[in-house]
Amino acid sequence: MKRGRLDVEVSGQRVVLVGRIDDSVTLGELAAQLPAGALVLDTAGVTFVNSIGMREWIRLTRALAARGAPVTLERVADVMMTQMNLIPELRKTVQIASFHAQYACPSCGAEATPLIDAVAHRAELRSLLPPLVPCDECASLMALADFPERYLMIFSD
Amino acid sequence: MQPSTAPPGRVVVAHPDRKAQRALQRLVGATLCPVDVVSDVDALIAAIGDDETAIAIVDASLAQARPDLQLRKARAWIAVPGEGLASADARAIDTLLVAGWRHVVAHPMPVLAEELLATVQKLLRGDVFGLEKYMAWGAEVRSYTLEDCRDRDDAVATVARDVVAVGLPDRVGSLVSVIADELIANALYAAPVDGTGARFRSADAREKPRALTGRDIVTLRWATDSRYLALEVRDRWGSLDPGSVGARLAPSAKQSSSEGGMGLPLAYACCNQLVVGSEANAMTEMIALLDVRYKPTELGRTASFHSFTLRTRSA
Repeated sequence: MKRGRLDVEVSGQRVVLVGRIDDSVTLGELAAQLPAGALVLDTAGVTFVNSIGMREWIRLTRALAARGAPVTLERVADVMMTQMNLIPELRKTVQIASFHAQYACPSCGAEATPLIDAVAHRAELRSLLPPLVPCDECASLMALADFPERYLMIFSD
Repeated sequence: MQPSTAPPGRVVVAHPDRKAQRALQRLVGATLCPVDVVSDVDALIAAIGDDETAIAIVDASLAQARPDLQLRKARAWIAVPGEGLASADARAIDTLLVAGWRHVVAHPMPVLAEELLATVQKLLRGDVFGLEKYMAWGAEVRSYTLEDCRDRDDAVATVARDVVAVGLPDRVGSLVSVIADELIANALYAAPVDGTGARFRSADAREKPRALTGRDIVTLRWATDSRYLALEVRDRWGSLDPGSVGARLAPSAKQSSSEGGMGLPLAYACCNQLVVGSEANAMTEMIALLDVRYKPTELGRTASFHSFTLRTRSA
């Protein structure tokens, strides 16, 4: 189904979002159209989120949380991570299984958004310690290109 | 032989550390303005007196202990981080923004030097608009004028594409697209006010066409000099209250506003310095600066903030 400039594909309990979450999107009532029970939301294909889009995202996660079943986010786009960390309530309403994070290589200067397994690295992330990731270009260890206190805040207790 | 003249004014620096005092004195001394140096708040208050032309530059720790300082008479109160490579403490910045400080510098040297000198000169000269003040000479400025509300997406996409095309990373392009979108949306839908001050465009459907002429004209400009990327958005309404913007940006303010009014806080969170310029009933200019020299973690965790008001023609 289409929501403004966002494509929403539902396959069993998995919901894949692709496109922009912006002024064109209303997500609050989307929850009623999604399957009951535990859901996985895949947002790797989200390319842009603005403040109005984030407000709609909050409405969607609130509505899903109100149903009582768990909501897991997989492959969270980097553009969403930046903004979700600004919203304290999202720490309680969603569980992040994996996410794309901004990393930079101190050796060659390359920047990338590798996929981080938040389940495997749960303990580190709760302590705001970014997992180590090798650079695709030079194989040196990359560093998180943002402050852990800011970019990983959503994983803190 | 007659020397050239510098803009009139006086600067008072208050910092407990002698080395920092020297650094700050040299720095603002570049304006050729008289600079007094003191060590504590009491001496600062005495030095400023009732001089409404004086500019006070205050160590952020001193300012955090006395956030009410900025209510006293002066041309401006500017909080700066201490000597060395440490950024201003994020809690100090939060406290000062909530208290209404209009100039809070977050970043240490050498960013501090560039930012503070531009800020003090803008205040001394009363010349508050334009991203050129933050760019090295030679940087080309690209400008766009929106002809219709629906040009917003095109403008955002174009500037993000252009930024990446000059060699800046996708991460910067992504930040630029969010900042540009929020600042343009503010100019299009929050800036227009009627005779009662009501923001009559705020509920407009975003897909609704509207030709942008007269006071509705919105311009977007950007430039980079490989130190900074500057993004500037102007409206012709001048309806933003420059004294209250900072308090809306404070991280502690965000805690209670997860549902609305997140546009400016989001733009602030995405940049390293947010500069508001305002001439009441005439123009609001927002400049977001991204420092592209350093890794984000080498700069302050919280961005600097400046709010200038031009008082020559109105207000």
